[in-house]
Amino acid sequence: MPMKVLILGLDGVPRGLLERLARAGVMPSFARLIGEGTLHDLRASIPEISSVSWTSFMTGANPGIHGVFGFTDLVPGTMRIRFPRFSDLEVPTFWDRLGRQGLRSVVLNQPSTYPVRPIPGALVAGFVALDLDRAVYPARHLARLEAMRYRVDVDSRRAQSDRTHLLEELEATLAAREAAVDYFWTEERWDVLELVITGTDRLQHFLWDALEAAEHPLHERVLAYYRAVDGLAGRLVERFRAEHPAGRFFALSDHGFTRVRQEVRLNAWLEAEGYLAFQGEERGALSALAPSTRVFALDPGRLYLRPASEALRTELIERLTALGFGGEPVVRAVHRREAIYHGPLAERGPDLVVQAHDGFDLKGTLKADSVFAAPATMSGMHNSEAFLLADHRVGDNLDIAEVAGHIEALFP
Amino acid sequence: MKGFTLWLTGLSGSGKSTLAREVEAALLERGCRVEVLDGDEVRQNLSAGLGFSRADRDTNIRRIGYVCRLLSRNGVVAIAAAISPYREARAANRAAIGRYVEVHCDCDLETLKARDPKGLYARAAQGEIANFTGISDPYEPPEHPEVVVHTGREDVETCVRRILRTLERLGLVPGVDAEGYRPEEEAEIARRLEDLGYL
Ligand SMILES: Nc1ncnc2c1ncn2[C@@H]1O[C@H](COP(=O)(O)OP(=O)(O)OP(=O)(O)O)[C@@H](O)[C@H]1O
Ligand SMILES: [Mg+2]
Repeated sequence: MPMKVLILGLDGVPRGLLERLARAGVMPSFARLIGEGTLHDLRASIPEISSVSWTSFMTGANPGIHGVFGFTDLVPGTMRIRFPRFSDLEVPTFWDRLGRQGLRSVVLNQPSTYPVRPIPGALVAGFVALDLDRAVYPARHLARLEAMRYRVDVDSRRAQSDRTHLLEELEATLAAREAAVDYFWTEERWDVLELVITGTDRLQHFLWDALEAAEHPLHERVLAYYRAVDGLAGRLVERFRAEHPAGRFFALSDHGFTRVRQEVRLNAWLEAEGYLAFQGEERGALSALAPSTRVFALDPGRLYLRPASEALRTELIERLTALGFGGEPVVRAVHRREAIYHGPLAERGPDLVVQAHDGFDLKGTLKADSVFAAPATMSGMHNSEAFLLADHRVGDNLDIAEVAGHIEALFP
Repeated sequence: MKGFTLWLTGLSGSGKSTLAREVEAALLERGCRVEVLDGDEVRQNLSAGLGFSRADRDTNIRRIGYVCRLLSRNGVVAIAAAISPYREARAANRAAIGRYVEVHCDCDLETLKARDPKGLYARAAQGEIANFTGISDPYEPPEHPEVVVHTGREDVETCVRRILRTLERLGLVPGVDAEGYRPEEEAEIARRLEDLGYL
């Protein structure tokens, strides 16, 4: 019987939340899957954001190899930022590698694959895809997706002021994703089928408070979304097992989530400490920085030194480690580039990467003038605590870049 | 869109047919009309009866070049995958065709012998095949190919991408997003990232 693999991505769902909702009966399918299989801790990429983590997942490589370090990347040798594109990847994805053995992958709503390029199989790009017609490969599927009102993402701007609308959009988007999976399930020949649900991340950004607090007016409605996700997962796994009894199932997240208490704007800290200055009144862009600037931050905690200096790195590590708020330490770790990035593109990465303790949300904004601020619209923030659920034990101490290798190894 | 010829040259097993098919698929996807002329296939029809002497090899290459020229001038992308060991024959095709892009599929003999998908290197080593290019017959590598792909140490995707980037750079095929996002797209991406607190 040929090997088949089903992969379900749950963007931003931390292991702890999955277990909690499974135990509480909100996610009964996952409760069963966890009972039958193995739930692993999974380490997100550094920084723990979707573009980097999902790219590490799909390439099976470290940012020093795949070249994506954030939602924005610095153009080497300049002070300009750019938005990474799928075609920037300097290495193949595991779908490409499997394609060499004649294996085909159907991949739906995978973040960071826009604009799409051909893969051996079919691909519908996820965030930050703009036009559906550049988000779908092969293009012949486009009309069907449009007909099922398939949408890449919800309106995160409107979500800031209208949580009910957000929930409506999340529900509709989820239903359309299920219709899309059903369509591709039979429409394409596949060996690997992957669906990523990104609504979990959106919900958790805006409604983490409602998820945590039973007395929140939207609590039940939020739980209903997880119930719907669980229902979808249950139907997919059931169908998969019926059609491919020897197949393997994986579910994973790309990072975890936790409650945000304070935003920490690193550029404001750098400015206050004299490492960064603006030319004039204008703020907001790297082009507004004064030539005397020695350090600046890109979201979330990526520090770039101009010029790079080991003494300055040591100084920054010491001072950032000592940074406190209300008597609590803010910073969990400051990594030197070479300690976390390996490969020919590592040099393009930031000189230092800061990671904060849960509750302190590092920001790379250049607009803020105070270091700390209560979050304006969001109640959730990312952390590193992702999960990998499999119907078999995969390993210990897993990093998200290692998952692809395990999947590929299933195909001899 | 104007046609052109993409000519893949290299030793047997160096990946010409593989890359020709991959590039074909990518160009079809971009709306090009494409035809692949594969050495193996051509020798069964257009060049049936020809052997592997220098004269016969040159005739074979000239015939493939002739068909490529007809296709290219009629708006088709002609992709030739043939060992084409002699520089002079390739240069004659280049001159006749005009819009001509040469790809050298470069691969070390060790790897080729290990790959040996058709078992030809094993047979050549046994002396069963005379005039085997790279073993008992010459191969003259191109001096100025538009693209070199090192198929022994680069994977297929990397090679395909390099070929496509070159074609984009030469203005022969439309880039999918050769110059990146349009300004209004960048603004929209920035807005979405900002809405999620990432900018
Ligand atoms: N980077 C690469 N590019 C192309 N092929 C590769 C590459 N890496 C490995 N290969 C493998 O090498 C083999 C190349 O065989 P292929 O038939 O394409 O060679 P060829 O040059 O057309 O040979 P021939 O002249 O005998 O027709 C294939 O099995 C292919 O999968
Ligand atoms: Mg061939």
